[in-house]
Amino acid sequence: MNTASTFSRRVGWMSVLLALLCSVAFSQSRTIRGKVTDARDNTPLPGVTVKIVNATTGTVTGADGAYSISVPSASSRLEFSFIGYETLTLPAGASGTLDVGLPLSSKNLEDVVVVGYGTLKKKEITNAVTSLRPENFNAGVARSPLDLIQGKVPGLSITRANGTNPNGGATFQMRGITSLNGSQEPLIVIDGVPGGNLDLLQQEDIASVDVLRDGSAAAIYGTRGNGGVILITTKKGRGGAPQFNLATFVQRDYVAKKPRFLTADEFRKIAPNADEGGNTDVYDMLLNKDNLSQYYTLSATGGNEKSNYRAAVYYNKGEGIAKRNYRDQYGGRINVNQTGVNGRLVLQSNLSVNFNKADLLGGNNGDFEQAVQRNPTSPLMKDGKYVNPNGFNVYNPIARLEQELYYRDQQTLQGDAKLSFEVIKDLRASVFGGITRNTYNDRQFRTKDSKSSVDSYEGRGYAYKGNYLSLDKTLDVTLDYFKRIDKHQVTAVAGYSYFNSTYETFNMNNSGFLTDGFQDWNMGNGLFLREGKAGMGSYKAEHSLVAFFARANYAFNDKYFAQAIFRYEGSTRFGKDNKWAKFPSISAGWNLHEEHFIKSTGWVDQLKLRVGYGETGNSGFANYNSLTLMSTGGAYPLDGRYPETVGLSRNPNPRLGWETKSEWNFGLDFSLFNNRLGGSFDVYRRTTGALLGNYDVPLPSNVNDKMWYNLGSIRNKGFEIVLNAVPVQKRNFTYSTDITFNRQNNTMTKISGPGYRIEMLTFGGLPSPGNLGPAIRVVEGSALGNFYGKRFAGFTAEGDFLFYKKDGSTGKAGDIKEEDLSVIGNGVPKMMISWNNNLRYKNWDLTMFWRGKLGVDLLNLQDMYFGNRSWLPNNLLKVALTKHAQVKVPPQYSDYYLEPGGFVKLDNVTIGYKFPVKSGVIRQLRAYVSGRNLATITKYSGLDPELQDNGMTTGIDNRGFYPRTRSFTVGINLGF
Amino acid sequence: MQKKHIVLGLTSLLFGGASCTNLDEKVYSELVADNYYKNRTEVMTAVLRPFTHANAWASPTGQVGYWRVSELSGDQLAWPQKGIHGFDGGQWIRLHNHTWTVDDDVVWNPWRLMYWGLGFCNSTIGDLQKVDFTKIGMTEADKVSIIAETKVLRAWHYLRLMDLYGNIPIVTEVGVPAQPKVAPRKEVWEFIEKEIRENVEQLQPLGPSMAGRVSKAAGYAMLSELYLNAQKWAGVTKWDECVAVCNKIINGEGGSLKGAAPALETDIMKPFNNVNHNSPENLFQIAYNFTLGKFRFGWNGDLWHYEQRQAYNATERGNNGIVVIPTAFDAFADNDLRKKQWMLIDTLKKHPSVRASEADSVVMATEEYKNKPLVFVKEIRRNSEGETGAGGMTRGEENSGARFSKYLPGAKDDAEYWNNDFVLYRLAEIILNKAEAIMRKNGGAANAEAVALVNSVRQRAFKSTDWPSAAYTTATLTLDELLAERGREFIFEGKRRQDLIRFGKFTTATWWDHAATSAKAELFPIPGRQIRLNPNLEQHEGYK
Repeated sequence: MNTASTFSRRVGWMSVLLALLCSVAFSQSRTIRGKVTDARDNTPLPGVTVKIVNATTGTVTGADGAYSISVPSASSRLEFSFIGYETLTLPAGASGTLDVGLPLSSKNLEDVVVVGYGTLKKKEITNAVTSLRPENFNAGVARSPLDLIQGKVPGLSITRANGTNPNGGATFQMRGITSLNGSQEPLIVIDGVPGGNLDLLQQEDIASVDVLRDGSAAAIYGTRGNGGVILITTKKGRGGAPQFNLATFVQRDYVAKKPRFLTADEFRKIAPNADEGGNTDVYDMLLNKDNLSQYYTLSATGGNEKSNYRAAVYYNKGEGIAKRNYRDQYGGRINVNQTGVNGRLVLQSNLSVNFNKADLLGGNNGDFEQAVQRNPTSPLMKDGKYVNPNGFNVYNPIARLEQELYYRDQQTLQGDAKLSFEVIKDLRASVFGGITRNTYNDRQFRTKDSKSSVDSYEGRGYAYKGNYLSLDKTLDVTLDYFKRIDKHQVTAVAGYSYFNSTYETFNMNNSGFLTDGFQDWNMGNGLFLREGKAGMGSYKAEHSLVAFFARANYAFNDKYFAQAIFRYEGSTRFGKDNKWAKFPSISAGWNLHEEHFIKSTGWVDQLKLRVGYGETGNSGFANYNSLTLMSTGGAYPLDGRYPETVGLSRNPNPRLGWETKSEWNFGLDFSLFNNRLGGSFDVYRRTTGALLGNYDVPLPSNVNDKMWYNLGSIRNKGFEIVLNAVPVQKRNFTYSTDITFNRQNNTMTKISGPGYRIEMLTFGGLPSPGNLGPAIRVVEGSALGNFYGKRFAGFTAEGDFLFYKKDGSTGKAGDIKEEDLSVIGNGVPKMMISWNNNLRYKNWDLTMFWRGKLGVDLLNLQDMYFGNRSWLPNNLLKVALTKHAQVKVPPQYSDYYLEPGGFVKLDNVTIGYKFPVKSGVIRQLRAYVSGRNLATITKYSGLDPELQDNGMTTGIDNRGFYPRTRSFTVGINLGF
Repeated sequence: MQKKHIVLGLTSLLFGGASCTNLDEKVYSELVADNYYKNRTEVMTAVLRPFTHANAWASPTGQVGYWRVSELSGDQLAWPQKGIHGFDGGQWIRLHNHTWTVDDDVVWNPWRLMYWGLGFCNSTIGDLQKVDFTKIGMTEADKVSIIAETKVLRAWHYLRLMDLYGNIPIVTEVGVPAQPKVAPRKEVWEFIEKEIRENVEQLQPLGPSMAGRVSKAAGYAMLSELYLNAQKWAGVTKWDECVAVCNKIINGEGGSLKGAAPALETDIMKPFNNVNHNSPENLFQIAYNFTLGKFRFGWNGDLWHYEQRQAYNATERGNNGIVVIPTAFDAFADNDLRKKQWMLIDTLKKHPSVRASEADSVVMATEEYKNKPLVFVKEIRRNSEGETGAGGMTRGEENSGARFSKYLPGAKDDAEYWNNDFVLYRLAEIILNKAEAIMRKNGGAANAEAVALVNSVRQRAFKSTDWPSAAYTTATLTLDELLAERGREFIFEGKRRQDLIRFGKFTTATWWDHAATSAKAELFPIPGRQIRLNPNLEQHEGYK
């Protein structure tokens, strides 16, 4: 007798049913045997329910996918069902053998969606949730796991301000900006561990990514739900024949667009006085043109239905387009599951580690700023030594790469385990514990003759070591309940959650070494320590969250759905008079396609209306902001010694609380014409309030001019559309396409309180030289991301800028007053769009992925500073002599330097071929070639219109940058 | 049975966990105020905090504070635009032209920094009054003296705030009231006088252990300033009171850093050098010690050219900001040693230790004159483009204007490298204050006593051969001449705006490219952002 062998509540419930079914004895007539496999790759599927239609008899497949069942007659029909796959009903037939290949569920309605502290069936979902499986991921190779879903989740903006730097990160933002100073990114939950570290995820390890886009879904995560929630589930062991999967690729990056600065000869012509006789192109010298990234991963799964495992190891060398700019990493992931006590006790555990070594020296934005502005006639070396020019903001970036070291050695680990027990029928109790531990050692060294050493350390070298350790601990205790009576179905979860996070740092630096040869490996040798000039520091901080939560789902007749969530949560970060927050949500769904009047049309497969309201919060801000803290502020003589003085470092706020968000979401899901056309539409309106800021307070009588308090609100509203279609579906040729589109706007609805107001919030301070003030200004009632400044009106005969004044007359920069300034643009894209195309012809497949952001202005600081003749004797961009030839004065900030920044990119083209394998050993073999960032359609004249557009400082193309690249990849996936 | 155990286990975990709801914040690397003031060191480190904070606003160390607005709005120093450098949103030009707005940083930041320091004083006074000194190994006398010192220090913050802003709120307790009202300037003046008068006699006399602290001498010096400006600030004349406190200082009643009474240095560099905590001329200073405290009077940022450090064999860079206005440079006679020693002009020579060879003696320019010697010129104009005439605030180049050389840090291998104190009051000022009070009481005319006082300060700036023609007489020492002489003596010391206002010149005079402005400019407005937060703050006339 078999029992179901999975931890999931639903399957657990089914196992009870099966146990009942199987316990019924019946007469022998004939036996059908066979094997159930995955129709895609012929891997055996264990645990598939096989039952006789209109009978109570059934069984499940074993580890090898095999089953046998007695049927009354050859005309009996067998139903094969398994979560995530189509349910097939087939006649038993006379042969006695029936092998079945189950296709993946195309409707996906039976798909399990991870919604936090449990799962729901897709059809039960009443919120704005995007659920992605590997087949939905972006084709080709991902630099970071979330690149896999870039453009796939409507409303989720993923931006890499540092391009393809292997040590650069991405920023994420869901449905616009929801915080000024707190965390703005979605909460990332890996296998139930909140705040999971993305370094631990490898593309091949990800089983699903589920994104809770609206507040009615995210409320279950309470004070961490404002930015949305991204739930990542890794692949698990599954019983059956042992399997290996090998994936590997190599990749090379090429510069997509080089900035057009003056060559040495061109420079000489316009600045003969600055001619130093040389001819260098530092930009070229900073590039690692032979960069080659490689990746290898091997995974193995096996076991049986009661005990199974999956293990994966990987090695990855990521080389950037810049020199001294790599990341070398390896690690692994192990998943072990076991079911016992008659299927009632389930243990599931994961352990993943990542070891990486990164060279953080190169790829520096400042190096490439130097590459553009450096005098190209200035020699890099003289008499066999590097020349380090004097002057404001100039250095020799090639010398820096040769004379300095900066390495990071990092280890990250996540371990989690869940023990779950069916206490009584329909009720399971679970304990889940997880830790994420992240630690790194940094080392830096600068030779005695390096610029840094000469400038700041008396030419006596410099060495630094720093450690960082963070440890996050999560403990969840939950009770799950599931009951179906007739047409009524209730699914509920309730629990307690504890989260604790600490981090600590230690660092030291010394100087005055006997020799450069020690590098940083003999720190005590430096004389600065003896001379009292060495540095040392350490720090530790801690915070905790405690929560009680519950979620209940009710379904009637698979037609009407309702969900309610409540979370009661406290944070150590909140002020002592305001420790606990409440987060309710309620939502409902109506499966119209189950109604007769829709069903009768015959071409509507799915039509569902959803409505949800949810409240979430944000506690993602710094620790200790509510306390009366004192800090040191410089040494002063006392009794012949010089102790650090101590004073109040902040105004305390015992009422300090969380940011709040309330959000309405209306949604529609549809699927038509036999699932050939489907999609969803969501419209939302959210208000984030009690925005935390270090705002001004009356001074006096406060000690500090600012205090952390909750004030102000932002409103985001918009809509999101997903469309997917299969225009061609033939035996040898299919074409499927999907489009994601969203439009949103963000308004600062309030930054005032009773009797007082904050006039403006400013962002994007323009750099030195010039210090032209903040580029972005937000006032009450304005859009977020507004560029605020002077309006260009032309040039004087002398090449000075003229600007419009309020009364329509014009004047030079010195004549322009505050009242003459106005909103001159906006750096937050209003629309995001992506368009994916998949074509399959026989064994060939082709993916073309387009992605874009529209409705945005960009401030071109490279033109503003380098495209100006007054930047001499530094080098100029060619545009200084062409497009901006009229400018004869130092830069002024105005709409003259704003450009439309909308773009559409051909982000990815992948061609793959699946080899027909006949070998008994090899299960599958696919090879592919991928190109990334192949073409950009834009009016923007700068290097790349894809700039930082998340957060409050948006749309500014800074002087320093990381080169934009085009990448080509060749890879193989092998299963055996 | 087994089942029951598991159920029990899970249930107890659930409830065991539920008791874990403690949300107190655990602090590791910060200090929590409730646990402070446990011994003398802790008490004193809090008492000393406003002194190190004054570094931010009273001295030229890189922030927009009292020093910058007092110098850059006056007729001696300016921060002109130099090509692509130094425009800084136009704020220095507006400060120079007296066209600041209520939301300008030059209006807001001095307020912010000074009231912040004042808040440290209020917080310390409030906290210390609750501490039982006998329990932490100190005496009641210590308590009286320390609280008196902090109160006088607070009064000095009020003095400086009142100087810039006129009518300001008087607050003596942290957080009370939440939205204070402004007090008329006269009331503020009276509060300051009362606070200093009530506490000055409890202060310690100045001596080596009180260097950088509010001693009796410092308290008297504050009163001297308060009385000298009483006519402007409070509408009352206090010439006799001014002379009286000046005499107390001169007679040594306030103590001295060296000897029985303060004394003028004969070497004009000595009040400012890197061992100036010993100078008998100095009465109150911000005490820095880079060697022992890693806390340094960092004037390099505001006042040095990018490469000026090569002239000293120093390691810190400059931002090439503030320079001497041509007319102020010309206000010194060529034989005035203060012109030669306190300012840099012409070719900047490298310190011998940073020369690669004998020939390598000149600091090279990096901007308009890149790869040429750095030669400071007194004009602020585009000489590289052939400009002639007076120049202007937007016409500067990297070498424009004479530069600051009054304080010198020493070379990086000097044992006292960067140990200079920033002098807030020195005897020379007290002597000139006394002379001015005498003259003003005398209807603006100098008498022999006034002339002798001024000459006593001036004489050391001239070679003995030059002195007979440089010395003042009762005929030559007019009030205008006294203002000019104060300018020469106190250039770079953050006192110019107050002097120009007291002499009625700040808004009426013209200098270099600066035209006369309107009377409202004698006060900075109350910062706009504070008015919007606190409806009880009333803006000054002219800024409403």
